[in-house]
Amino acid sequence: MNPNHNPQSSDGGRHDDDAALTEFLASLMDYTPTIPDELVEHYLAKSGFQSPDLRLTRLVAVATQKFVAEVAGDALQHCKARQATIPKDKRDRQQKDKRLVLTMEDLTKALHDV
Amino acid sequence: MEPEPPIQCCNPTLESVKLGNPNRRTIDHGGVGGRASSDEFGRAVSRIAVAQICESAGFNGVKNSAIEALSDVTISYLIDLGKIAEFYANLAGRSQCSVFDLILGLEDLEQVKGFIGSGQSQCLLGSGTVRDLMRFVNCGDEVPFAQPISNFPVIRQRKVIPSFLQMGEAPPSKHIPPWLPALPDPHTYIHTPMWDERTCDPREDKVEQARQRRKAERSLLSLQKRLLLCSGSVETRNTTSNVVVPSGGGASLRQGEGEGGDKNPYLKAPVVNKDVSPVPLPGKLSDDVDMIANHVSVLEAFAPAIEMMRSSGVLCEDDGMQGRTVLPAVRPTVYFKFRAGKKLIHESLDMRNQKKDASRTAALAGREDERDDKKRRAELILKQSMENPQELTLL
Repeated sequence: MNPNHNPQSSDGGRHDDDAALTEFLASLMDYTPTIPDELVEHYLAKSGFQSPDLRLTRLVAVATQKFVAEVAGDALQHCKARQATIPKDKRDRQQKDKRLVLTMEDLTKALHDV
Repeated sequence: MEPEPPIQCCNPTLESVKLGNPNRRTIDHGGVGGRASSDEFGRAVSRIAVAQICESAGFNGVKNSAIEALSDVTISYLIDLGKIAEFYANLAGRSQCSVFDLILGLEDLEQVKGFIGSGQSQCLLGSGTVRDLMRFVNCGDEVPFAQPISNFPVIRQRKVIPSFLQMGEAPPSKHIPPWLPALPDPHTYIHTPMWDERTCDPREDKVEQARQRRKAERSLLSLQKRLLLCSGSVETRNTTSNVVVPSGGGASLRQGEGEGGDKNPYLKAPVVNKDVSPVPLPGKLSDDVDMIANHVSVLEAFAPAIEMMRSSGVLCEDDGMQGRTVLPAVRPTVYFKFRAGKKLIHESLDMRNQKKDASRTAALAGREDERDDKKRRAELILKQSMENPQELTLL
């Protein structure tokens, strides 16, 4: 694979990075991303991405999962922030704390920051 | 805000995913319209995956519109990443993407947000993106996808039209190479009318035509004889009895009239009210003398059948009872047998005696009983014909 055939890796640091990347790619095979491989392969094939290597597919899946997780996290922050600003009523607050629902409003705010 | 019920993240199933929602706003992916029917499965899968990610992020529920939008964003992210990586690979003169193309693509997508080390041009191996990714993988919990998915899209085996070579045919003209699919059979596009092939034999046709004409003439003649008989029987009732004392085939009607009438009360001329107008004879039959002579012999031969009919009360009553004396509007069918012989008359007399009582009730009962009587008579005649095969030669 390409990390192994990198001709410019004469520096020790690069070797470390190289090794780290290789190790990371290898560890990807153990990690099962939430987004299934078939879905990723389907949409990558649609866009013209050709790669017989499964590690790259996993890399894409992980990257997408990270992206969506970040968006969801931001939306969650917005949701919690909104709940804090609402005038407090002990019983209502308890109810709302239990139900954290992703709404369009929070989502747009989170996506806007991307 | 749409008042929709939130979807539980914790139990995603493919069945619960609503497919084909026409009101859903979808992101256009290069021409795919509001209803992406071919992409439904992919969208459903991404919906589930995104819902799972949201649940792992900490959400208890998700709004339907929000999850749709986020899944669309995810799909477009995937496609964009692939496009950018492919672009970088093509830029480098390669058709296959490498990890570096992917890293470059990731950096491009995250440029807006910014990542550590974006300002520095360093080796991609040490890029901040990759480090972030590594951190994400190592720190986060592994949440595998909820359900097993088969490899999609499923490629259906298409029925391929065999080529000329495979069919063993030669292409019709030189400009068509033999490796192309074969042309369809001519019967699929040329309509040829089909009809039964029949050997045309004019002589046979003429013979057949003549035979059919003769058959028609015969049936017409028999019908006219029947009509004549009916009218004849009506006429002779008033004058003489038409009972024949047979001595063979040549007994004349007059002879029978004179002798039979005095001696045997049963052979007397029946009294009948001539309410029914006699059937007008066709001109051809009444004028021809020979035909009348024929009619006489025919009447003589038909006497038993007529007697039977009379005894049943269709025409009249023997003992003078004024029963139903009106000829029915519909002439009843008469079963004829061309026959002559003493035995038959005896039998007919016996039958008359037997059937007298039955006939009275029959006449009073109605037409259905008459038909039954006729049927019985027909059966008797048939039985007699079976018993006397020699008389069948007269037919």
